[in-house]
Amino acid sequence: MYTLERSPAVHRTVVSDRREPVPGIVILGLHVPHLASITLPGQFAMVVPPSGEQAATALGIYEAEGERVSLMLVVVGPRTRELAALQIGAPLDLLAPLGNGFELDALGDNVALIAGGVGIASLLLPAQALAARGARLTLLYGARTAAALVDADRFAALGAKVVLATDDGTRGHAGFVTELLRALPKHAFSGLAACGPSPMLRAVGRAAAYLDIPAQLALEETFACGVGACWGCVVPHAASSVGTPVGLIRAKRAEPPARESDRFCYARICKEGPVFWAHELRW
Amino acid sequence: MAEATQPDLAVALGRLRLSWPTLMGSGCYGSGEEYAPFIDLAALGGVVLKSVTRHPRLGNAAPRLVSTPSGLLNAIGLQNPGIDAYLENDVANFADRPCAVIGSVAGFSVDDYAYVTERLAARDEIDAIELNISCPNVGTEGETFACDPSLAEAATRAARGVTDKTLIVKLSPNVTDIAAIARIVEAAGADALAVINTVRGMSIDVDRWTPRLGNANGGLSGPAIRPVAVLAVWEVARAVKIPIVGQGGIETARDALEFILAGASAVGIGTGNFTDPRVPLNVVDGIRDYLAARGHSALSEIVGKANPRFAGVR
Ligand SMILES: Cc1cc2nc3c(=O)[nH]c(=O)nc-3n(C[C@H](O)[C@H](O)[C@H](O)COP(=O)(O)OP(=O)(O)OC[C@H]3O[C@@H](n4cnc5c(N)ncnc54)[C@H](O)[C@@H]3O)c2cc1C
Ligand SMILES: Cc1cc2nc3c(=O)[nH]c(=O)nc-3n(C[C@H](O)[C@H](O)[C@H](O)COP(=O)(O)O)c2cc1C
Ligand code: FES
Repeated sequence: MYTLERSPAVHRTVVSDRREPVPGIVILGLHVPHLASITLPGQFAMVVPPSGEQAATALGIYEAEGERVSLMLVVVGPRTRELAALQIGAPLDLLAPLGNGFELDALGDNVALIAGGVGIASLLLPAQALAARGARLTLLYGARTAAALVDADRFAALGAKVVLATDDGTRGHAGFVTELLRALPKHAFSGLAACGPSPMLRAVGRAAAYLDIPAQLALEETFACGVGACWGCVVPHAASSVGTPVGLIRAKRAEPPARESDRFCYARICKEGPVFWAHELRW
Repeated sequence: MAEATQPDLAVALGRLRLSWPTLMGSGCYGSGEEYAPFIDLAALGGVVLKSVTRHPRLGNAAPRLVSTPSGLLNAIGLQNPGIDAYLENDVANFADRPCAVIGSVAGFSVDDYAYVTERLAARDEIDAIELNISCPNVGTEGETFACDPSLAEAATRAARGVTDKTLIVKLSPNVTDIAAIARIVEAAGADALAVINTVRGMSIDVDRWTPRLGNANGGLSGPAIRPVAVLAVWEVARAVKIPIVGQGGIETARDALEFILAGASAVGIGTGNFTDPRVPLNVVDGIRDYLAARGHSALSEIVGKANPRFAGVR
């Protein structure tokens, strides 16, 4: 039987197009022959710095089609600044595709995508896959300010109902995007898929538990290796569904564990994740 | 035209023979398998495995990593399944690696070092043992072994007593006189020294008034510590005859050559892999070109050449 070769590799790419939809956010299109077809929604790349002088950067794979993938960068520090300055024709090497993507089939046919800031970058591929199988989509998208909201129309074009929020109230709901979940009745969606900063994802997890909706969260924490080698990127996890690579252990906060739910191990976000079931995290 | 013969880059650390003078730093390279999609493991001298302890360790709370200028601060806390589960589940996977596989042992008592070393070294999959007496991220206990001469000696002797395989002892830079510790460890039976482990450090979030690492303090690695590490190798190379594996912030062949000219026979690469997994390849190629351009036929010819009082054996 023919199986698709999905194992990650070093991919040599060339910047094919570059877009700066708003100042400080850059979308880099990359020409790369054999990556788009093996990339699953929610997977990421470790981007090798062209200067060779800093650590590689973890970036979600924003678009993937044919011989092109793209990355969306928010300039926050030296590494993202270096990448954002790349021009068309520049070579760029990626380790990709990495991590586990979303289990979209487990989210049902009425899915809310919840994006915080640059978390939007990891949700377009899931939106496309869900739309392709006819799921009803809602995008709840929050950012600091109106000027930091990017490409919401791409989701609308897939048929998603788009609800916006900004911290400063310059567009949509004034406040955190997760506040939009509070007004919902139980089981308002068949599933949630979220990506954004950890405090936001924690809030999504709490809301999902209250609303009794299964939720998958794509975490973005500091990575070093990005390939599961250094154990630096961990999150407390119930351990029920993670594998048993070297060092993954079961332990408890208190001895003996008061309840089964107190048991956890530290799972690697880059390897066992970055997408986790919200109810399995112990954070 | 006859092709010029390639310079010989092979290195001996005690009985252990490395085809290339590059070891992947413990804790930075998993078991090697994690990097196999990105580099041919046969191009590595060897992989030093993540340190293992007698009992399972949960590891430190997140965050465990903070990036700092030209460096990486980490406090992993020796997360590992403990020697029993490690021998049962993991070690068999290390067979047939096309490079050397070096087990790393950490402990909290002299008896721990002897017990874990004996059990790990007994396995055929393991070619040599590195004694991590210098982990800075496990409270004060772990590092006291590298910082206290009598404990460093006792741990080394204990491990030496239970295996004939090559024993590398990894030293801490967080001491006043690293050469003195090196001498004691050599006398206690070490075959080689790894110089250095991470430098103790901290980063504080001034908005939240709290240290950034879950463990508060951590170990600094990467280019930020390279000058500290080169000096440590320089000083140790004047004090001992056994070979040194120099490490700390190596990202290029020229970085590696600094260590070699200071007196290291081989180099360790840890954090450099996080920039680009091809760094170990580039280091080997660059060293080979450097030697060829200068007409040297072997790496050993230049070990310690910048260090007038180099005491080692080439
Ligand atoms: C799985 C995964 C996917 C990711 N996907 C993307 C993506 O698609 N696009 C993208 O732009 N980033 C993404 N990130 C985050 C990105 O890796 C970091 O923002 C990047 O490493 C920052 O590097 P730097 O050197 O520019 O900044 P650093 O020097 O590392 O950070 C500079 C400052 O910015 C803060 N900071 C770091 N990250 C963020 C952030 N995301 N938002 C706000 N402040 C931050 C830091 O705390 C620090 O104070 C992802 C991270 C992970 C783990
Ligand atoms: C994330 C991380 C984990 C590490 N874990 C270990 C370890 O378990 N045992 C050990 O002996 N050294 C450990 N080290 C130290 C490295 O092996 C190496 O000696 C040190 O980082 C300096 O080299 P480098 O700058 O090339 O990384 C670790 C370093 C890092 C960055
Ligand atoms: S970043 Fe190294 S294990 Fe995840």
